[in-house]
Amino acid sequence: MQIVIGQYIPTGSWIHRLDPRTKLMSLILIIVTTFVIKELTTMAAMLVLTLILVQTSRIPLTRFLRGIAPLMILLVFTVIFQVLFNHDGDLLYSLPVFFTWVTVPALIGIIVLYNLVKRKIKFRFLFFILTLAAMVYALTFNFGPAIWTANIHVHSGGVIFAAFLITRILILISISSLLTLTTKPTDLNNGLEEVMKPLKRLKVPTEEISMMISIALRFIPTLLDEANKIMKAQASRGVDFQEGTLRQKITQIISLLIPMFIISFKRADDLANAMEARGYYPGKLRSKLVEFHYRPVDYVVMVVVVLLIPGVIYFGL
Amino acid sequence: MGIKFDNVNYSYPTIGTSKYALIDVDLNIDSHHEFVAVVGHTGSGKSTMIQHMNALLTPSGGEIDVFGVKLSEAEKLTPIRKRVGMVFQFPEYQLFEETVEKDIMFGPTNFGMSAEDAKAKAKEVMEMVGLDAELLDKSPFNLSGGQMRRVAIAGILSMEPDILILDEPTVGLDPQGQREMMDLFYSIYEKTDQTIILVTHDMNVVSEYCNRVIVMKKARKVFDGRPRELFSQPNLLDEYNLDAPQYMKIMKKINEKMDLDLRETVLSLDEIVSELKKIG
Repeated sequence: MQIVIGQYIPTGSWIHRLDPRTKLMSLILIIVTTFVIKELTTMAAMLVLTLILVQTSRIPLTRFLRGIAPLMILLVFTVIFQVLFNHDGDLLYSLPVFFTWVTVPALIGIIVLYNLVKRKIKFRFLFFILTLAAMVYALTFNFGPAIWTANIHVHSGGVIFAAFLITRILILISISSLLTLTTKPTDLNNGLEEVMKPLKRLKVPTEEISMMISIALRFIPTLLDEANKIMKAQASRGVDFQEGTLRQKITQIISLLIPMFIISFKRADDLANAMEARGYYPGKLRSKLVEFHYRPVDYVVMVVVVLLIPGVIYFGL
Repeated sequence: MGIKFDNVNYSYPTIGTSKYALIDVDLNIDSHHEFVAVVGHTGSGKSTMIQHMNALLTPSGGEIDVFGVKLSEAEKLTPIRKRVGMVFQFPEYQLFEETVEKDIMFGPTNFGMSAEDAKAKAKEVMEMVGLDAELLDKSPFNLSGGQMRRVAIAGILSMEPDILILDEPTVGLDPQGQREMMDLFYSIYEKTDQTIILVTHDMNVVSEYCNRVIVMKKARKVFDGRPRELFSQPNLLDEYNLDAPQYMKIMKKINEKMDLDLRETVLSLDEIVSELKKIG
């Protein structure tokens, strides 16, 4: 069992050395900016800026791509829906498609075939795209008695808006990955507490939230360790975690989950007592072990990021 | 037949440098009537070694043969785990079923025992571990800590293993509980033909109950023999950072205080008495 927690990669770049508070606030502001932007060209410029940041963080680009992979399906469907149903702008391309008694079974055949062989294919995403293309291609043939015919109209508005949405998603993912890849979880948490401070006036228990997050982070490795032990203990009692029918799988998971819950509650109890014994009182003012200090570069970054939104609005982009 | 280690190495998969937890371990444990203690410092490789015995870990080098099945060639490892039962540290955490009975039946049914047989077995092992059959219908989470541990051990015993491995079974119990627990294992050892392997830090346990002791130090097996052999060599105890058993300490004190020259390698109270009788 291998679970990676926290994705922090230390490379010591200038982004790593930025104050976590700066990074958090910049992230929020950049996200807002991407939603203010209206033009594809501005969005593309934002993407270029993001890529420059990514490059200067000296973290391999593959790490960012890994974050994008799970959203690929979403991206593909965005493109398909925009291209098919957005009819703004000029007509770029028109393709008649025929649903006939021959092409519809062919379509079903392709889907079945896709599901049968997809387990054996390594480049599953590429395979998915190819299957989609094959399906569209199959529909362009006008064989047999027709059920329904339609025309696919591709308009320039749809293509541009699809590109716009994809760029926005790419920016959002890369910039948030950039934060987690360049900031230690503890720093991130401390930074979050500082950034949330104004919310205290609204009676938001910021310190408690931050304490909860840090305890959760602290106990993930411990609980993983415990899970490993329990899995071994149950394996000794004949549980084969590698295989099994659905029913066996359920028993396997129960035999792991119930002990884990009991251990967690026990640990929580012990921890609460230990914290109380050392004078922890929720909401009381506490001093910090690590105090953050802004450096000149933090001010520069903040000014640049803060100016992004009015800049975008002023130029009417 | 039993467990055979042949030049076993094991390194934990870490990034970069590999850290060996077992180095060149040769071992032969018979499945008939042995009471083996495994001792050694924390991090000496004891736990890693016993986890190899029921195939929870597989060696990175060398070969392990468990009841004629070579681990490197075995297709399925679960049958091995039926023959070599393992009781982990704090075994009470592995309980999860609604009733004690169901939890004890969990192991045997996993290994293909029918429900009726498993039920009968549950009753039998409950008696073996010294618990009342009334508890069978209770939830294991309503029991006391000591009872929970006994139920967990019963859950392993019900699998009818040929070799029983116990990883520090007395940790966290009060002195009387520890004593009772050890007596329980000794009675199982006496009644059945089973081999029991016991990981422990307690030299008194080694001297009183075991007939063989394996010492691990820095991932290597450094001693394998009778407890008397180990305890009769104080220099060895020093070298392995082991404590002498209580009875030997008492005997040493008697010799010092009374200026006597009695045999100091005594492993039980009876031996002290018989030594003292010599001087009348």
